[in-house]
Amino acid sequence: MLFDETTLRKLKQLTLVASRVRTGAIKGDRRSSRRGSSVEFADYRDYTPGDDLRRLDWNIYARLERPFIKMFEEEEDLAVYILLDGSRSMDWGEGEQHKFLYALRLCAGLGAIALASGDALSFALLQSGGIRAGFGPMRGEASLSRMFDVLEGLQPGGSTQLNESLHQFAVTPRRPGLVILISDLLSADQPELGLRPLLARGSEAAILHLLSPDELDPPLSGDLQLVDVETGAQQVVSLDGRLRTLYQDRVRSWIRDTRGECRKHGVGYVQFSTARPWDQLVLLELRRSGILK
Amino acid sequence: MTFLSPSALWLLAAALPIIVLYMLKMRRKPVRVSSTLLWTQLLLDREANAPWQKLRRNLLLLLQLLILAALVLAAARPAIRTPVVASGSVIGLLDASASMNAVDGNRSRFDEARQAVASLIDGMPSGSSMTLILVGTTPKVLAASESDKNALRAALAGATSTQGSADWQAAFALAAGAAHGSQGSVTVIVSDGGLPDSGLPALPGDVRYVPVGNLDNNIAITALALRPTAGAPELFAEVTNYSQADRTVLLSFYLGEQLLTAYQLKLAPREHKGLTLDQLPGASGVYKARISDPHGGALDALSLDDTAFAVYQASSARRVLLISKGNLFLEQLLASLPGIKPFKALANQAGSVQIPAEPFDLYVLDGVYEDGLTRGNLLMIDPPANPLFVVGEPFQQMSSVKVNPSDLTRYVDWGNIHVMQAESVKPPDWADVLVQADGGPLVFAGETLGRRIAAVTFDLRQSDLPLQVAYPILFSNLINYLVPPTPFDATQSLRPGGSLSIVPPSGIKQIAIVSPSGQAVSYTPGVGKLVYDGTAELGYYAVNFIANDGSTTADYFAVNLFDPSESDIRPRPGIQVGRTIINPTASRQVGERELWQWPAAVGLVLLLVEWQASHRKPLRLPSLRRKGSPSPT
Repeated sequence: MLFDETTLRKLKQLTLVASRVRTGAIKGDRRSSRRGSSVEFADYRDYTPGDDLRRLDWNIYARLERPFIKMFEEEEDLAVYILLDGSRSMDWGEGEQHKFLYALRLCAGLGAIALASGDALSFALLQSGGIRAGFGPMRGEASLSRMFDVLEGLQPGGSTQLNESLHQFAVTPRRPGLVILISDLLSADQPELGLRPLLARGSEAAILHLLSPDELDPPLSGDLQLVDVETGAQQVVSLDGRLRTLYQDRVRSWIRDTRGECRKHGVGYVQFSTARPWDQLVLLELRRSGILK
Repeated sequence: MTFLSPSALWLLAAALPIIVLYMLKMRRKPVRVSSTLLWTQLLLDREANAPWQKLRRNLLLLLQLLILAALVLAAARPAIRTPVVASGSVIGLLDASASMNAVDGNRSRFDEARQAVASLIDGMPSGSSMTLILVGTTPKVLAASESDKNALRAALAGATSTQGSADWQAAFALAAGAAHGSQGSVTVIVSDGGLPDSGLPALPGDVRYVPVGNLDNNIAITALALRPTAGAPELFAEVTNYSQADRTVLLSFYLGEQLLTAYQLKLAPREHKGLTLDQLPGASGVYKARISDPHGGALDALSLDDTAFAVYQASSARRVLLISKGNLFLEQLLASLPGIKPFKALANQAGSVQIPAEPFDLYVLDGVYEDGLTRGNLLMIDPPANPLFVVGEPFQQMSSVKVNPSDLTRYVDWGNIHVMQAESVKPPDWADVLVQADGGPLVFAGETLGRRIAAVTFDLRQSDLPLQVAYPILFSNLINYLVPPTPFDATQSLRPGGSLSIVPPSGIKQIAIVSPSGQAVSYTPGVGKLVYDGTAELGYYAVNFIANDGSTTADYFAVNLFDPSESDIRPRPGIQVGRTIINPTASRQVGERELWQWPAAVGLVLLLVEWQASHRKPLRLPSLRRKGSPSPT
């Protein structure tokens, strides 16, 4: 079990937010910005030929002798796509701060919110430039246990080729929806560019950027030979206090640049450390950033 | 600038193995990280991963390379060309006489001369050599044909001035010997010019003169002597003004540290005044004369000759009592020996005699013996029966006589001496037989119960000994052994470096001589006299005689300069060597002043810094931190 019942009950109080609501395939629990056939009145508009006469407001027509069509708010489901970076760089950290475990819990939490909201939840594990595992779309709380089973069976591995994986994801026809990418972004790719095809088809995207504490402030010093656990690449470095400071500056500027690029492309962005408890992140930080409400 | 050993610059190639070894030594600890992406980007920006960048930032390697560079530079012997007085085969004569202690300004002439010789050494071109001779009371070769400047500097550093006169004759002989066999030798005399005006031999090769000193301001005590008179002794002192100005000085006399009297003397330039002082206390002791400025200021440039000492010893002639029935030979002998005050006591025919109650240093018993003589030294001639040794029957076997070599038989020729009859004596254990005949000893001497006793076992009148040359020699030796004369003559003061003969009195186990500066030297007296020549210091010396019973008596002697050539410190424009007047020499040759000390010193300092740095970590050059950036942890 990735989290307990208490946390699950708290999560069920939340709803994923997509500012541009898309028409769902079935009626859902959320109101659409499109006018439809639900029972809640929204507005009037002039009649145009071809309109459903059942929606003509005869009372207004009798009073004003002009035909008006009644418009109702339509409640629809949201397609939620959770994309998880499953590369080997995610296999990093100890205990509760392990990045992949942390990301799985985040996936499970967001998935639970989506299923509780009646959204159509899909999940994909991005590995080595492709999609290695996934499920969905699934709906309803009845799918929670299946989702947990799938998530608990995932393992990190392979390399990080985010844009290639996102391209593979984008070429498959899907409903527009909310795309959430969970990754450490430790790749030369620019993920906001990989998300662009999805955005072009009407989807909305958000990047949850997680880093472990020792990636933000490495507890290293001396003459070192750094070995990349994902690629095996080696990098010699003589690490002193000054270089550590430069590294921290570099990380900060990297996060700042990524946030700026995401904002420019209309992609939500939240960066956080795995030192922070994941439920606090979901219950507080993601609500504050507008991804949840 | 030139390099005297440019081949040493090849040693700079040693930097390569240092760098290689250093790079090999750079062990890096492998550390797994989630990604090297950010590190690579960072280091690409910083180029911090480049080896040379790493080397540049490493303090230890930088220091090691700097040390190597400094040491190689020193080994290459950088030098600048400078004008020098002499080059090639140089013989340096460094004046270390008393006048070189004169202070011109703030340093002595000897220091100035030593500096001049140091400059000479520094400027020696490669291939040159120097023989350095210190010209003092006894000239000394400090370095012989030495081309190693360090050795020359070390020899020069050990040179000190003396307080005596310089022996220029001996110094020139040494210089001539050093110049022998070397072509184009140059003799450089560094002096204030106080060389003898004539009599110095010519030197081979070129001779150059480097003068030092510029003052003539000196007043000296040029004589101080004590003369015993019938009453109190008289003291004579002479003061000379060697300066070119009228001077007034205060001449003070002391007995020990007690001021006796003082006089104010006015002296014209080059004038000397004598003064005789009588009415002295007459006690034995050390008299001191000192000149000083009446106003309490500095008197002159040379202080060594401002004080003089004289030692007075009351007369102490040896008292000898002859007890005899009448012996003209002995009476004439005792009357003729120097330092002897003879007395005579005639014995009657029975041999008994009335001995005076006053003590004598020596009793000469001629054919008699007096039981009452229980103290004092004895010379027994033709001894009768006595308690000191056994006397037997007379004997006449004189066919072979043997003289045992000893100080007491020195210069005694027994070959022509005939003895008709002698007493047969068994030599006692405490005595040494000096002359041995067939029937027994003819002469023996020794010491028993604190008394010195000598015996001649025959009657002088029954031999021809008194008619031979050996007679006064033998008896003088015996009497000087039995009653030693005054240990030394202190009436005349010594010159610095002079020697003093000390005849140790009997019963002395040790002699300790204390110099004016308080340095003590001990001697164990042997047979014969002791010659002491450690008189380099001016002042008075104490000679302490430590007796066998531990009691100590002290005598004194004085060492004074009294040398006009040293007290006259005016600088001379030139010196005469052979028939040539040598004028001061200007620097007229090109030498090389080596500068290797500077890079060597820098290398040493860097070595210390490197040693200090190698014990501290981290080993990084200090770097500027941006304002506001966090501190490295």
